[in-house]
Amino acid sequence: MSEELRTALQHKLSVLLDGEVRVERFALLAGGASMEAWAVDAQTPQGPAPLLLRRGAGGRIYRDALSLEQEHRVLQAAFAGGMTVPRPAGYLGDLLGREAYVMERVQGEAVGRRLVQRPEFAAARKALPGQMAQELARLHRIDPAALGFLPGAGTPSPLRYGLETLTAQLDSLGAPHPALELGLLQLRTQLPFDGEQVLCHGDFRVGNFMVGPAGLVAVLDWEFAHLGDPREDLGWPMVRNWRFRMDHLRLGGIAGPEEFVDRYNALSGRHFTLAEIQPFELLGAVRWAIGALSQARRHLSGEERSVELAVLGRLAAEYEHEVLLLLDEGGR
Amino acid sequence: MSDRPDSRELAEAVRGFLEAEILPALQDPRLKFRALVAANALAILGRDLELGEELRREEARLLSGLLGQGGDGPAPGGRAGDGRALNEELCKRIRRGDPPAGTLPALQRIAALKLAIASPKYLEHGP
Repeated sequence: MSEELRTALQHKLSVLLDGEVRVERFALLAGGASMEAWAVDAQTPQGPAPLLLRRGAGGRIYRDALSLEQEHRVLQAAFAGGMTVPRPAGYLGDLLGREAYVMERVQGEAVGRRLVQRPEFAAARKALPGQMAQELARLHRIDPAALGFLPGAGTPSPLRYGLETLTAQLDSLGAPHPALELGLLQLRTQLPFDGEQVLCHGDFRVGNFMVGPAGLVAVLDWEFAHLGDPREDLGWPMVRNWRFRMDHLRLGGIAGPEEFVDRYNALSGRHFTLAEIQPFELLGAVRWAIGALSQARRHLSGEERSVELAVLGRLAAEYEHEVLLLLDEGGR
Repeated sequence: MSDRPDSRELAEAVRGFLEAEILPALQDPRLKFRALVAANALAILGRDLELGEELRREEARLLSGLLGQGGDGPAPGGRAGDGRALNEELCKRIRRGDPPAGTLPALQRIAALKLAIASPKYLEHGP
């Protein structure tokens, strides 16, 4: 299978780069039910190229995740907008029955727990809040008009559309979760549905960044990009689950939120306060809880049997507890 | 039936085997991680067997109280103590925008009960 894939890839890359391409190394880095990632070392007419191949694997985690073709177009827009992202190297279309694209393969550490806890990343942790702010300021400046496929595009309030999608996802679980219902109720009354509409990353957090000793190397994982309120991307990296047990450091277990938000405001010309971002952290906490329950459902339905996914159904008690805590804090 | 090991002791035996004998023998980090998760799943199972019945009774009591059924009356839409029916009823009320007074503290209490089974250490390292 791997050999057949290599040959097919070699052919596609040769057409894409208009010259003979030889794939010298080809290794599966990660394979889930929804996506494969392959490390590819290619000899091209322009010289050696370390590439990363993203290829579908059948399933989809969330109903509103982008197709790989759309994800590649968003990555192109981010790259053109001056963001620190892997250089998109081309959409390949069908590669042995599944769509795929290639991009530059960046080096570094992406595992959130290591970035938050290991001493060798101390300097990176110091640099990241400012770098994250700069990336978001650049992202939210990109004109989304050419990306009409984005979830939320063409709706009067993309934020409301996102909340309705989330509600439908909770309904599809087929099990009652009053804590999350209470969170959704609060969000329906508290979120500002008339805010700006920008291109949102949708999963902007420690764990989805490639990081080196000096900090950010690349913003990864663009499959949840959508049209939304800029504060969605500011609240999501503060959600407790992305603090990797460094709970007192609200911004992804690496820092307090102040520098990140101040820098973002200064660079973007916006004036968001922490109090205005709080409802978006609640939105993130509810979204993560529902996402975890959806993943457990994949195990229970037999779509993807996995003890990891199964246990998420019980660990959801942590995420529900956090939603209730934010409701309690917000109500004070 | 009172044969030993009982269900809790069996779960504990398998968890001990995974941790003491399987985990140290594994090289592949991804496999190692899944084995840790499996051991954790057995620990959850053990706590559920020990505490689950009592906690589910307490959950039903809290939800019945919230929904105005008193402590021991029949739950709406189901038999007495049917936690699922009570949870569904409460969800409907919240979705209508009409959560009963005291919903938040009751749900916080229930979440703490669930954590006692799923993740008892979670509350120790709060922010």
